[in-house]
Amino acid sequence: MSSDLETKIATLKSELKAINSEYAKIKEIPAEKRAEFGKQINEKKQAILAQIAEAEAAALETEVEPLDITAPCGLNGNMPELLHATDGSQHPLMTELDRVIAIYQSMGFDIVESRQLDDEYHMFDSLNFTKGHPARDGYDTFRTEEGFIPPAHTSTMQHRVLKAYKHKLDEGEVIAVAVPGRVYRNEDVDATHEHTFYQCEGVYVSKTCTLGNMLGILREFFEKYYGQKLNIKTQPGYFPFTEPSLEFLIEKPKALGGKGGDWLEMLGCGMIHPNVLKMAGIDPTKYQGFAWGGGIDRLAMLRHGLGDVRHFESAKLDFLKEFSC
Amino acid sequence: MLISLNWIKKFVDINIDNDELIKLIGARLVEVEEAIDQTHKYDKIYAVKVESCEKIEGTHLSLCKINDNGRAADVERDEDGFVQVMCGAPNVHAGMFAAWIAPGAIVPASVHDAEPFVIGMRCMLKKYDSYGMMAGADELDLGDDHSGIVELDPATTKAGDDFAKLFELDDIILDIENKSLTHRPDTFGIIGFAREVAGILGQKFQTPDWLLETKAAIENKGVKLEIEIADKELCPRYTAVVLGTEGDHKKPYLTYEDTLLARSGMRPIDAIVDITNYIMLLTGQPLHAFDYDKFVAVGGIETPKIIVRAAKSGEKLTLLDGKEVELVESDIVITSNNIPVALAGAMGGANTEIDENTKRVILESATFSLYNLRKTQMAHGIFSEAITRFTKGQPAGQTLPVALYATKLLEEYMTPIAVFDSQKETPTVAPVVLPLTQLNSLLGTDFSAEQAKDILESVEFNIKLDGDNLVATAPYWRTDIHIPEDVIEEVGRLSGYDNISPVLPLHATSNVNEMFTLKTDIRNILSSYGANEVLTYSFIHGNLLQKVGQNLENSYRIVNSISPDLQYIRQSIVPSLLDKSYANLRAGYGKFALFECNQVYTKTAGLDEDGVPQNAHHLGFVFVNEKSDGNYYTAKLYLEKMLAKLGVNYDIEPFHVAKDSSNAYYESKRSANIVVNGQLLGYLGEIKQKILRDFKLPLGVAAFELDLSVLLKNLGIKAKDFRLSAYPSVLRDITISQPVDASFSELEKKIKAALEAKNLIYSLECSSIYHADGADTKNISFHIKFSDPAKTLSKDEIQAIMSTLESIN
Repeated sequence: MSSDLETKIATLKSELKAINSEYAKIKEIPAEKRAEFGKQINEKKQAILAQIAEAEAAALETEVEPLDITAPCGLNGNMPELLHATDGSQHPLMTELDRVIAIYQSMGFDIVESRQLDDEYHMFDSLNFTKGHPARDGYDTFRTEEGFIPPAHTSTMQHRVLKAYKHKLDEGEVIAVAVPGRVYRNEDVDATHEHTFYQCEGVYVSKTCTLGNMLGILREFFEKYYGQKLNIKTQPGYFPFTEPSLEFLIEKPKALGGKGGDWLEMLGCGMIHPNVLKMAGIDPTKYQGFAWGGGIDRLAMLRHGLGDVRHFESAKLDFLKEFSC
Repeated sequence: MLISLNWIKKFVDINIDNDELIKLIGARLVEVEEAIDQTHKYDKIYAVKVESCEKIEGTHLSLCKINDNGRAADVERDEDGFVQVMCGAPNVHAGMFAAWIAPGAIVPASVHDAEPFVIGMRCMLKKYDSYGMMAGADELDLGDDHSGIVELDPATTKAGDDFAKLFELDDIILDIENKSLTHRPDTFGIIGFAREVAGILGQKFQTPDWLLETKAAIENKGVKLEIEIADKELCPRYTAVVLGTEGDHKKPYLTYEDTLLARSGMRPIDAIVDITNYIMLLTGQPLHAFDYDKFVAVGGIETPKIIVRAAKSGEKLTLLDGKEVELVESDIVITSNNIPVALAGAMGGANTEIDENTKRVILESATFSLYNLRKTQMAHGIFSEAITRFTKGQPAGQTLPVALYATKLLEEYMTPIAVFDSQKETPTVAPVVLPLTQLNSLLGTDFSAEQAKDILESVEFNIKLDGDNLVATAPYWRTDIHIPEDVIEEVGRLSGYDNISPVLPLHATSNVNEMFTLKTDIRNILSSYGANEVLTYSFIHGNLLQKVGQNLENSYRIVNSISPDLQYIRQSIVPSLLDKSYANLRAGYGKFALFECNQVYTKTAGLDEDGVPQNAHHLGFVFVNEKSDGNYYTAKLYLEKMLAKLGVNYDIEPFHVAKDSSNAYYESKRSANIVVNGQLLGYLGEIKQKILRDFKLPLGVAAFELDLSVLLKNLGIKAKDFRLSAYPSVLRDITISQPVDASFSELEKKIKAALEAKNLIYSLECSSIYHADGADTKNISFHIKFSDPAKTLSKDEIQAIMSTLESIN
């Protein structure tokens, strides 16, 4: 610390002491003037305290020693060391995403990461939501001042993926893409609701693919994921961007303690609406496709038997170290 | 939405058991959230005749003898076989039929309580035994009325009848997840729902004739009314019936329809309201009634005129609930000669409310733009059963038939006077042409044209076969059918998607997503170095931006966030990690490393080719150690080891504050720019002390943040220089003195150059940097290991090498 600052701080501190002792005189002041007196003293005291804080901060800043940014250690310092490998951990959601992606890749899907800030066009318009349609409400989207949207589903990437991969169709191949990403819903957080979560989307387009193919791919995915044969079923759903639209369910796998008869809703899916293909410049009379999307958090919670979704974004080591290497 | 299965059964002959049916509804129409079994809810409740009823002086109670035709067990009976019950209801009287909850029965309103209320025998006023209770609508869970007991119609009731049988109350109530029926207004009525059930079961549904009516057969008995629709988009059709009325409309007896309302989650109120609600539940079409004479008075002209138009901003209307609302331009208003009398689809106005003096009513059956009503719903927070149905877009075709049917049911209380309708002609529906091949190729099925035709006809599509084309004309209530895919969905869904065989398609192999792979590699590397991967929110509080000296203006701001904690989109990862470090220190972790790979957005980055904010993929890392006030070199070690493992060569250059001050939280004297092939990769350094104090963190916390796109571009598979010598290596320690402010890397470069000049295979590792207090030099020590690729080095040669190294300065 420079001596100037040291002196200044010492002076200020003695001033503070003086003010404190002045305050002791309050008893000698007539009762009706005490409030005014107290207020004045307090103002003085606050002013000095602020000056002391400022001087101390300045003292700390000037104390900062520059260092050799290229060196491996400081002057007379110990050589730095890494933490123990066993302290380290990967986030369970990211590990889950890795698993999911690895399976899709093994099934011949390209991977495209979803955006985290998008617009109305990609989130809704390009997905055949008519303007002002009540179905838009169901997504409880956040919005920025400019009208950008932190997307509420990974389907926000469908239009981009279709456009970017259209050339594959021209080359006689198929579009097969999985889109993992972080998505957002404007809702209160509790044990089962997060405003921030992860999804993975699948998009498949070819000349001949059918709804039966979609069910085949989805069953194959979950059978690989749980490492066992599974029973599947569907429920009708409604999404403006698929026609028909379905909910896809699997019978709770043995790995998760399923005894048969319990069903888990895994994702929403359907045949891509011709308008969605058209908007991406793909001729719906020549090509057809299907798409699906489901939550990653749910998979991780089922795998680890977690009851509270809030752990995921808590960044608490108590939680994270449960997943240590 | 609550659906009574017994009500459905009025329209469909159900030939499978309930569980199977519920499963099929789930698989082919909509998710059934819960099937509420009410088959035993009304057990041991009987219709009874009150044989005698004596008022007990000085109390509100009456002593009654009731005839249950001997049904109840465990009760004491008099010589006539009657049971004694005390009753406090003012309307109890001899000769009436009532609903009697016998001893041992559960009061229906309490069946879902933690401790359901079981009726028994009570001794009242210390001397009268009272068995069971005669029940009011509220106790029976059939209404809110607590003013008296329910009276049953003597014409249809016998003493001892099971109450449940009289009203078909042994029911299953389906709780339906509305959301996936957003596009199906027709299923928000029992008839529409039943039609789907018929289709699912492969039965042909027959819509009641009255719902197919297109002409009004009521002659005008002398009232005037004009209907003017300002914009057909806002109100495709408006039908109005004028009816005459007198007196109150209290119903003397509990009706079957009352119980249907109750089972559907609504409450009986009075005859007129109940009929309109019943019809809404039946058809999905909400109705509203105005006082005709008040309506005329509000308009103030001789020929009353309904004008439906968009509301004007600032226009005001007092609603039936007494609240005055300020209308917005997206609202639709019903006006009497331009003066608002109702907020369309939401609520009527107080100025035309029906009361005991009402002589004539206007019954409205209309359909409005669902887009506008959705905004009305949001703007005014009105979420009624009616507006829920309107926002699905009720079809224009039903306003007239529903109005006429309502008129018919109301005739018991009212006299029809005239019908008015904004639509003069029934519009024709264009058919959809669906080639059979398209149907089968989309679903992966092999339906014949006849099979598809049968399926669609069961839900009343009109199908003509034209070769292998299905020419499908949708009934008027299917406003969702426009393209062949819509028809394909109907065939697939009604016949059961689960009957389609899952088949894997064949296609080519995939490409690797390099960014995703890089992130996975980084996560593997850093976690193996003992660091913990975290995920933190993309949205942060404005305070966090300010704390770290970032400019609020550069962050995208969320305008509708649920909490100020989620107000801005973050510009970088490190601030979030700093924010999360304190809680971990408090939890007892004194030394740890956190990292996160995620996307960040700043306004300064501009927009991409799609016109949306440019995204950046970042890696953020912090190292916290409460026992050390300087952790730059530890963070640097992490960075160095990670980049080495990724095969990236980098340079450490003096730190510069970025133009947008997004990195202003690094202490510039103890931070560096990380550069790869001349491109800025990111920043490494200790965080400013003031900022650390604000975060309640120990001094010396160090961090780095890298732009992963830059890293990716400079990632190359490069062959390492695996030169291994067959000859012995020499191990030596060497210490070189340097000015105290000399750069370590300069010295290291010189040593390496000297070793390379002699074509040696070598490794070099710094072991310490010593600085004596007050000295102007420092001593840098290395472990050196070297060998010659072609020979064993002699003593002299080793000496010569060491001398060269020692002479470096």
